[in-house]
Amino acid sequence: MLLIYNLEYDSWQTVYFQRITVIATEVVLLYALQLFIDSSHGVARRAAQAAAVSIFLSPGLLIIDHIHFQYNGAMYGILILSLVLARQKSGLLASGLVFAALLCMKHIYLYLAPAYFVYLLRVYCLSPKSIFRIQFLNCVKLGLGILGVFGLAFGPFAMKGQMQQMLSRLFPFSRGLCHAYWAPNVWAIYSFMDRVLIFVAPRLGLSVNTSAINSVTRGLVGDTAFAVLPEITPRVCFALTLLFQAIPLVKLFLRPTWDAFIGAVTLCGYASFLFGWHVHEKAILLVIIPFSLIALRDRRHLSAFRPLAVSGHVSLFPLLFTPAEFPIKTIYTIFWLVLFLMVFDRLAPASNHTRFFLFDRFTILYITISIPLIVYCSLLHQVIFGKSYEFLPLMFMSSYSAIGVVGSWIGFMVVYFTS
Amino acid sequence: MASASPAHKPRRKNKNLESSSKSEALVRAPSFPLAAFLWPARSTLSQWEVLPLILMVAGLFRWAAGLWGYSGFHKPPMFGDYEAQRHWMEITTHLPISQWYFHDLEWWGLDYPPLTAYHSWLLGKIGSYIDPSWFALYTSRGSDNPDLKVFMRATVIVSEYLVYIPAVVIFVRKFSRFFGVAQWSASVALAAILMQPGLILIDHVHFQYNTVMLGLVLASMSRMIAGSYMWASVFFVGALGFKQMALYYAPAVFAFLLGSCIFPRINPGRFLGIAVVTLISFATLILPLVIGTLYDTSRGITSRPGLDGPPPPLPIFAFLSSYIDTNAFYYPLVEQMVQLVHRVFPFARGLFEDKVANFWCAANVVIKLRKYPTELLQRISLLATLGAITPPCAVIFFQPRKELLPYVFAATAWGFFLFSYQVHEKSVLLPLLPMTILLAGKQGLGKEIRSWVGFANILGVWTMFPLLQRVDLSVPYAVLTLLWSYLLGLPPTSLSAYFQEGQSKWAQWATALVHGSFYIAMTAWHVAERVVIPPADKPDLWVVANVGVGAAGFSLCYLWCLWKLIQESGLISFFSGTKTEKVKTK
Repeated sequence: MLLIYNLEYDSWQTVYFQRITVIATEVVLLYALQLFIDSSHGVARRAAQAAAVSIFLSPGLLIIDHIHFQYNGAMYGILILSLVLARQKSGLLASGLVFAALLCMKHIYLYLAPAYFVYLLRVYCLSPKSIFRIQFLNCVKLGLGILGVFGLAFGPFAMKGQMQQMLSRLFPFSRGLCHAYWAPNVWAIYSFMDRVLIFVAPRLGLSVNTSAINSVTRGLVGDTAFAVLPEITPRVCFALTLLFQAIPLVKLFLRPTWDAFIGAVTLCGYASFLFGWHVHEKAILLVIIPFSLIALRDRRHLSAFRPLAVSGHVSLFPLLFTPAEFPIKTIYTIFWLVLFLMVFDRLAPASNHTRFFLFDRFTILYITISIPLIVYCSLLHQVIFGKSYEFLPLMFMSSYSAIGVVGSWIGFMVVYFTS
Repeated sequence: MASASPAHKPRRKNKNLESSSKSEALVRAPSFPLAAFLWPARSTLSQWEVLPLILMVAGLFRWAAGLWGYSGFHKPPMFGDYEAQRHWMEITTHLPISQWYFHDLEWWGLDYPPLTAYHSWLLGKIGSYIDPSWFALYTSRGSDNPDLKVFMRATVIVSEYLVYIPAVVIFVRKFSRFFGVAQWSASVALAAILMQPGLILIDHVHFQYNTVMLGLVLASMSRMIAGSYMWASVFFVGALGFKQMALYYAPAVFAFLLGSCIFPRINPGRFLGIAVVTLISFATLILPLVIGTLYDTSRGITSRPGLDGPPPPLPIFAFLSSYIDTNAFYYPLVEQMVQLVHRVFPFARGLFEDKVANFWCAANVVIKLRKYPTELLQRISLLATLGAITPPCAVIFFQPRKELLPYVFAATAWGFFLFSYQVHEKSVLLPLLPMTILLAGKQGLGKEIRSWVGFANILGVWTMFPLLQRVDLSVPYAVLTLLWSYLLGLPPTSLSAYFQEGQSKWAQWATALVHGSFYIAMTAWHVAERVVIPPADKPDLWVVANVGVGAAGFSLCYLWCLWKLIQESGLISFFSGTKTEKVKTK
């Protein structure tokens, strides 16, 4: 069953084995969440329990890991472990090393690395009193540790001279801007506007690139071309991602608390998800899971979290497309949303800052729209159009989710900078 | 109105029992995992917030279990229950109604009462609208189309959510209010009832529509508790019309309804009402069949299209043909009705079919019953069944009290399951249902009822294991059974359902020992069945062992239901003595 050339091997023993490994490796997640609960005290402990259960039962993990198949549960377990370790001063070194190990397992977490870099630099490598007093011993320990971890992971490949090949596998810039089903980020909105402009542009006197008209929605992994709007290069994506990562990091550098650190990690996730190149919709967990850890800090955090919870999970629906999986993904997600939004609502304490008036209303409206949208995309569309216009539901889904993710991002930015 | 006065009773009861419900709500810590899961909902959440969540979880488990294979999957030549149900959708949608009960009886001929046939017709129509090839006549036999499977699974769930689930929700509400049980405890009981492993495994994995029949029975019981006996009879006729197995409950229903017309005072109006309503419901049930037959005859369509010449003799009641003219206009109707009875009640088959954990199958190990004539066996079996069901029915007849209903239903159904002939493994669901709903009643989540309900359910599922294993369903069996036993804090996952303060030590030890030895036997059987290959001359060794243990355990369940019934009915005078003592010690 593990013969390399034995592709598309799917005897039931293999399926059992693979699925069991996913479940078994989730022990890491369980352990990390227990540590998280143990690290919170007093009133926050109940909230931490709720958040931990919500992460453990996350529909994202169910859909991606247990149905679609990946090992995100274990990976996010390691991430949470590292985040929780950073809560205590004594755990900072371990936190950095665990994160380095995580990077060697899955390089998507590189997107979160800037927050780690700034936080560890400020708290561990520089003196808490003044940023001009460097703690050299700590720097050496951390530096050597990280080098050791990377050496262990990459060393064997480097010795065989395969680094070039490996890097090109890890960072596939040759692929297109948007993944097959557009991940709900800024570029999905951008593509959606481009689609709309195809119909509007002739009246405005803009030129339309006719060769691109039929390519965006083909649903194939490949180059995406825009008909009206300017092309986006990887360089632009990179610059935008870095820019929006840098903004929250300035605040983290100035006020390095653990809450700010988690907030910065979340915002780094947001920036990379929203502006990154060839983002997969699975990457939304990079935002949701760190955010869950602080979503219950107060009502303001929660109101930024709500649209994210809805849009992030709804955007995962297209990953599963067979009719047999449909009830599971929808009912489980609705169950999770109803249960945890209800529980979170009861547990989140009031904030001592004033709330934005419009933002809450927007959230309620947004959540309500999700229900007819799901019904349309999964049922009505087929009844009305049959097999034609298959891209339409996908486009609606991702544009809808993109609005939610962007909205919650803006909301959380405000919360982050005002608290 | 005759039904008005009983309807008030529960409210008065409520007030009397308020103190007990309060003490239940004040329990400090959850005593088993399911209660722990619902613990946060205890004080703050209203029932309408908890109910949708429970229903969603129940639905998820059902659907996920349905991803497994079904009975007869890739098992030619006959396939299994799934093919039978699919085939009925095929014939009902394609053939004139007068041929439904006659068409190619060798290939899963229709042998359920008319309501199932109408149900199949409706589902077949809907399915054919989606994809006509699923139910194409002849060519669709043994189809394993994955989309068809999704459709069939969906029909089971939809039927269940339209009939069984509302019936359980309403019943639990009514029954728990009757005893003044706190709302939160009722929610816990509801979740436990809906997660019953046997029902999920048989209906959603192995494939059948038992929940429709059981739902109608529960609806009938709710109506009985509400005091509207006519609706109760309508629903019960519906259950009988869906699956003849509901006859297991019929003596109890009959005894209760008759008893409530006689005691405490004779009420001829009620009796007439029930009788008329029952007859009308039966008539309505077969009306489409009657009209269809007459219409088909007028169009020249006969029930056996390939057959020329004089009609063949009637399969049963052959004496009828000497009184009736076979050329009369009503003859096809008579033929149709006789065929219906003949198909629905297979008198001609043997005492038992497969290895079932009932008395006969277990006795067969000791005495080879097959060497006795069928006539004699049928008569003995009839006598034994009557002997088993008479005590519970007599109790309910003389004391038609609503709180006794689940015990009577359970005891009667156990009697039928253990002693009647032609029992199927799956029939164990019938006694299990009224036993499981005891969880919603007085002290339902207390240790005594929880341990016995759990014992019966787990033993019941265990006796169905050979059936499930034949179609490679051991994994869902293990998962759903262990999950349920974990949720309710039962062996093999926990011993918390045994030993509590305030009960007699002797009874507790006895229960724990008896149950414990059965649980050990079940576990040992699973290990042995995996590891030890039975000797060549006894290939069925493990199945027979399963049957023996199962029959013994089920007899205990029957006795327990009977004992509880007698105890609750207050027939034993000394019991009332001990009760007052207990009150004094409190």
